[in-house]
Amino acid sequence: MASIDSKDIHKIIVACDAGMGSSVMLASQLRKQLKDTGVTVEHTPVNEIPADADVVVCHSGLAARARVSAPGKVLVPFQIFLGDPAVTKLVATIKNGGTVDA
Amino acid sequence: MAETYTPPVYGTGVKATIQRIGGHLAGMIMPNIGAFIAWGLITALFIPTGWLPNAALGAMVDPIIKTLLPILIAYTGGRMVHGQRGAVVGAVAVMGVIVGSDIPMFLGAMIIGPLTALILKYVDKFTEDRTKSGFEMLVDNFTAGIVGAVMAIVGMWAIGPVVRVVTTAAGNAVEWLIVNNLLPLASVLIEPAKVLFLNNAVNHGVLGPLGVAESVKHGKSILFMLESNPGPGLGLLIAFLLFGPRPLRPSTPAAMIIHFFGGIHEIYFPYVLMKPRLILGVIAGGAAGVFTFMITGAGLVATPSPGSIFAYLAVTPKGGWLGVIAGILVATAVSFAASSLLLGFGRGEKEEPPEDTPQAAADTPEPAADAPEPAADRVEESGRVGEAGDNDRETQAQPVAKEA
Repeated sequence: MASIDSKDIHKIIVACDAGMGSSVMLASQLRKQLKDTGVTVEHTPVNEIPADADVVVCHSGLAARARVSAPGKVLVPFQIFLGDPAVTKLVATIKNGGTVDA
Repeated sequence: MAETYTPPVYGTGVKATIQRIGGHLAGMIMPNIGAFIAWGLITALFIPTGWLPNAALGAMVDPIIKTLLPILIAYTGGRMVHGQRGAVVGAVAVMGVIVGSDIPMFLGAMIIGPLTALILKYVDKFTEDRTKSGFEMLVDNFTAGIVGAVMAIVGMWAIGPVVRVVTTAAGNAVEWLIVNNLLPLASVLIEPAKVLFLNNAVNHGVLGPLGVAESVKHGKSILFMLESNPGPGLGLLIAFLLFGPRPLRPSTPAAMIIHFFGGIHEIYFPYVLMKPRLILGVIAGGAAGVFTFMITGAGLVATPSPGSIFAYLAVTPKGGWLGVIAGILVATAVSFAASSLLLGFGRGEKEEPPEDTPQAAADTPEPAADAPEPAADRVEESGRVGEAGDNDRETQAQPVAKEA
């Protein structure tokens, strides 16, 4: 499984089906939480995850497609849109240092 | 660990493929929603039966829906396949379909845009190695021009007529469902498809293009409201707030606001996926909503996107608010009642210690008392939902199975 050290995370992509709805919402939440860390957070459709993404965040229902469109990337799947522990943990890891597996 | 909480999704094959195809269909429509809304506003305001009838301004209604929107769709579809060049030839080719038809050719645009771009992609591959240095621009411009022109002719003579037959048949099928009071059954397919993240594919890929054809003919269409009704999701979230697993309750008010006012329906899908039998609740709510829309003759002028109450009210034709609002309220009430029943009105939740943090919510999505239920859900579902239920289980079974 791919993993990445928190120091190497510069760009997080939040992906959803159309890249216009839920991903925008979660991306703006993440952006606020990561404001002081210098990590950029962007949102895209799950079929168009850019190559320079370090970590991909998407709902577990779309994880299979994310794996196809961004093979080998660190993927953080989550299940609930508000306060999911997988997302909380990602933010904590970036802030406190550590390794993100997935 | 992220892994233990969110296990990898199985069923990569069929489900992901359907999602991906649906994603492409919706991907041609969704970037252009702003144009749809502009058209909806102009229509609602300036047509003879609108709020501010104005013949001069109303003259924009027809060209926008019949020419501009299909061009935008074909352009976007072409761009998805072959970048800017694909977009241009897609837009050119769709003109044949548009001119050869008197109904809005959305389906035609969704076919010919990507198809023409694909052809150009192969032509480009062919000419790339054979073009002499210095002639690239000449070759590029003329291959695009020729492919575009030829496909416009093909569109007018071949694709247009076929799509017209398909659109007419689909329209007649919908008419038949309405006449026989069967339209509410659509919810049995639509609601499970929604929570599997096929919401955009269903609404923008299938129902929207059919709805527009109907809307142009009759001034409104019920098809816009089959998938996008925010009522069923709202009812489900209210049921979760009152009777759901305690750890999940605190997150529901914010989810309701995002869902009902913001129109992001995705926010309620996880709640269904955690308690799969609740799909019956949203199906009941959806069907009740459709039934109400049907008997009140409700319809919308354009597709409400996102499915927010504000978007609904903005594209409701003059005088149509009663039916539209009634349908949303009925859907909410029925979905709430059915979901509450399916949640056992919160019985079995009392013994749990009150845990309010989202962390706790995650670790115990299903209280231990509920562990035997998934099996029952599967039986219920496969009976009611049919093939969509099969896909359901792949995703749903996992978080639950872990708890058991």
